[in-house]
Amino acid sequence: MSQLLSLDFWSLVGAVSGIYAVFALGLQLQFGYTGLLNFGHVASMAIGAYTMAILVVKAHVPLWGASLAAIGAGMLFGAALSLPTLRLRADYFAITTIAIGEIVRYFALNEQSLTGGPLGTSNLGGSTQVTEYNTDWLSFQSTVQGWLHDLVGHYAGTDFAMLVIVWVIVLLCLLVLTPMTRSPWGRVLRAIREDEDAAAALGKPVAWFKLQSLAIGAGFGAMAGLLYAFEFQFFSPDDFDPLITFYAWLIVLIAGAARLWAVPIGALIFGLIFSGTRFFNFKPFTYLDAAQLAYLRLMIIGAILIALMAWRPQGLFGKREEMVLE
Amino acid sequence: MTELLQLVVNGLVTGTIYALGAAGISLVFGPLRIVNFAQGDYLTFGAFAAALVNITWGRDMVLATLFALVATAALAVAIEFVLWRPMRRRGAKTMSLFITSIGLAFILRSSILFVAGNGERSYRVDVFQSYSIGGIRISEPQLISITVALTAIAATALLLARTSFGRAIRALADSVELASVAGVDVDRMVISIWILVGMLAGLCGVLAGLVQSSFDANLGFNLLLPLFAAVIVGGVGSPYGALLGGLALGQVQELSTWSGFFGGVNPIWKPLIAFSVLVAVLLWRPQGLLGRARTL
Amino acid sequence: MSALLEVRDVVKHYGGIAAVNRATLDVEEGSITGLIGPNGAGKTTLFHIVSGFRKPEQGTVRFGGVEISGRSPDRVARAGLVRTFQHTKALTRMSVLDNMMLAAPEQPGERLSNVFLRPRRARRRERDVEVKAREVLAVVRLERHVDEYAGTLSGGQRKLLEFGRALMAEPRMVMLDEPMAGVNPTLGHELLDRVQELRAARGMTFLLIEHDLEVVMAVSDLIHVMSNGAVIASGPPAAVRASPDVIDAYLGKYGEPAAPAAPEEAS
Repeated sequence: MSQLLSLDFWSLVGAVSGIYAVFALGLQLQFGYTGLLNFGHVASMAIGAYTMAILVVKAHVPLWGASLAAIGAGMLFGAALSLPTLRLRADYFAITTIAIGEIVRYFALNEQSLTGGPLGTSNLGGSTQVTEYNTDWLSFQSTVQGWLHDLVGHYAGTDFAMLVIVWVIVLLCLLVLTPMTRSPWGRVLRAIREDEDAAAALGKPVAWFKLQSLAIGAGFGAMAGLLYAFEFQFFSPDDFDPLITFYAWLIVLIAGAARLWAVPIGALIFGLIFSGTRFFNFKPFTYLDAAQLAYLRLMIIGAILIALMAWRPQGLFGKREEMVLE
Repeated sequence: MTELLQLVVNGLVTGTIYALGAAGISLVFGPLRIVNFAQGDYLTFGAFAAALVNITWGRDMVLATLFALVATAALAVAIEFVLWRPMRRRGAKTMSLFITSIGLAFILRSSILFVAGNGERSYRVDVFQSYSIGGIRISEPQLISITVALTAIAATALLLARTSFGRAIRALADSVELASVAGVDVDRMVISIWILVGMLAGLCGVLAGLVQSSFDANLGFNLLLPLFAAVIVGGVGSPYGALLGGLALGQVQELSTWSGFFGGVNPIWKPLIAFSVLVAVLLWRPQGLLGRARTL
Repeated sequence: MSALLEVRDVVKHYGGIAAVNRATLDVEEGSITGLIGPNGAGKTTLFHIVSGFRKPEQGTVRFGGVEISGRSPDRVARAGLVRTFQHTKALTRMSVLDNMMLAAPEQPGERLSNVFLRPRRARRRERDVEVKAREVLAVVRLERHVDEYAGTLSGGQRKLLEFGRALMAEPRMVMLDEPMAGVNPTLGHELLDRVQELRAARGMTFLLIEHDLEVVMAVSDLIHVMSNGAVIASGPPAAVRASPDVIDAYLGKYGEPAAPAAPEEAS
């Protein structure tokens, strides 16, 4: 019960929700605006996290440069993902993205010398060295914590600092994406979502726009990967399970297609559901052990997906007409 | 040469399982337009149903397999009544149905985990009994799997090609409206299709559990992506394509490790061969081997 | 003097049948040219090939003297050749106004660099595009539906919207695929009046597929007739109407119906 009131706990929940918000914003651009069925989005997260960690630990690149490179690597991956779309129908593209996501995870799992293999980042320096990629980040976090301390006093723990940093980034992402999606550029994306042949017949270079959408969306995914790496200070291929992509889908579907500011709200709702089940400390849930509670959580997520599709396919904030017209 | 033949046989073990699983996915997509992401968990359900009879109750595998067929068929029909039919009545289209199937997959898998737990299990069969035919080794489970699977594949193909049931399925796959105008009782056909698909899935799950030395609740999901790859490679509209795609994919996967093929692919990457083949085939022939070309 | 659009010996097979079988035709600049023929003659397939949605197996397509065979559809459109579709492609979940504004060429706002670095330039062009879009909507009598979802329009209104969109793209030539199908006759004749005005005022060129022979005969300078994938007759309406080959094509030899449609597309 004390955990229910712990600021640190809720800061963690909030920070993770924010990370998922950034992740889902990338998917929203690809799917909600451009209509691309990307089911391998987690791969961009993995690429972001691993690129940064490898550059910091193995090449001794300073953290900030490594992070920028990580986002760049994510964008390159997104651009590469556009190659199959040029000839594939939507559902085939979806399966291909899952496959590509798995290939990336498999790569991380098996190329031990590069990625540390199944042991993850603790193994990046080989078994003889304990490695940290996080040192610069931790000092940045402390600085922020110091500022917050001046503002709100002793509530400012490290988790709270992280929470603030993550949500400032979420806000920045929204401020960048809003003019993009409201511009003629965004209009072309939506046209591609509706009918790419019509867009092409009007002179729009559809393949180039799809590439931009995938690349930028993957850039956001990579940024989410960075934040994830900084939050948990360690990661391994298991952290980039296909399930993560489905969480992003759930968030996007809760928010509603092509709704930007609804995505963080969807992410918060998702975060609350996810962590909320931890507090089922009352009967009949006390009969369940931790593993079973985890399975219950998955069942709830599955049920929510189905309920959304049955009763509110347009999400919380989407427009009903837009669904009916599909 | 022996190495090659051994790989062909191994490919047959994998390929026949892929073919059965892929046929189930294809039979659901054609008439019902459902890309069933939960199909893998139907397989897992079958494997665990057999496990209940064979491991927990200690009965023989034949009984366990029959039980799995019936149980999975029943599950499929139940889900049709509880989920798919109501969703269709609400006018759910392909995309919504796909997302729904993802939700269903979560529910099925977590239910199995909830009841049976996360551990690995093995059927009570003699995994060490193996035969050597002309230098090619095949274990008893593998031999049984190939035999049973090939029989089931042949039976399914005949069912589709020669019976009025098969014709009705193909009519539904072409157009539900036209089929019902032609006198097909769509609702009853749908139930029959789910029964067939449930049996195929149950059988596929049991055989998959049989040839792996042990399996867990992720059995079906791990197979799902190669199964989708097989369906797409074979051509989405065609159940024969799915059977063909499954067999082909199994062969390619095993043969890729052949030393004559640029020294052979490292076996670790075998699961990903299916995906690479998928991408390659789609880039060359977007409609798959037996599929029809897209129209504008 | 070469024609604006020159199609030479184009061939395309589907499933073993030649949907387009050495089709050859010209469209002169500033003309209204008709393309007629029985179902399955290959007219829409030819449209797809000319507009870049399908690649020809043999033959060439030249537009404005430049070879465009095999170019992607967006490049063909940017060269000044815009088409509409037999089954209209209204962007249903976007507003009528958005549908129109999308089609305008040269929008700096479509480049991300301009969105962030030259926002005023982008905004200025947006305002001009919006003004033009509203004008064209008035021309096609859709101005009252400006802010509605295109998905709420009737079939005939969607044809008008596609026509309006094609005009927004400021093309040299417009290919109309059955512009009258499903449109009520009054609206349909309005559309044809606009076609004639645009030709007269701006020298715009039109190629139209139409099944309503009265309409096509009345409005076209020149008509091409396709049958079984080839162009079997070309000439002014009166000549084509009287041609025995054309009558044969529609009725088949000895009064039998014409050949069955090619498996993929029927027009």
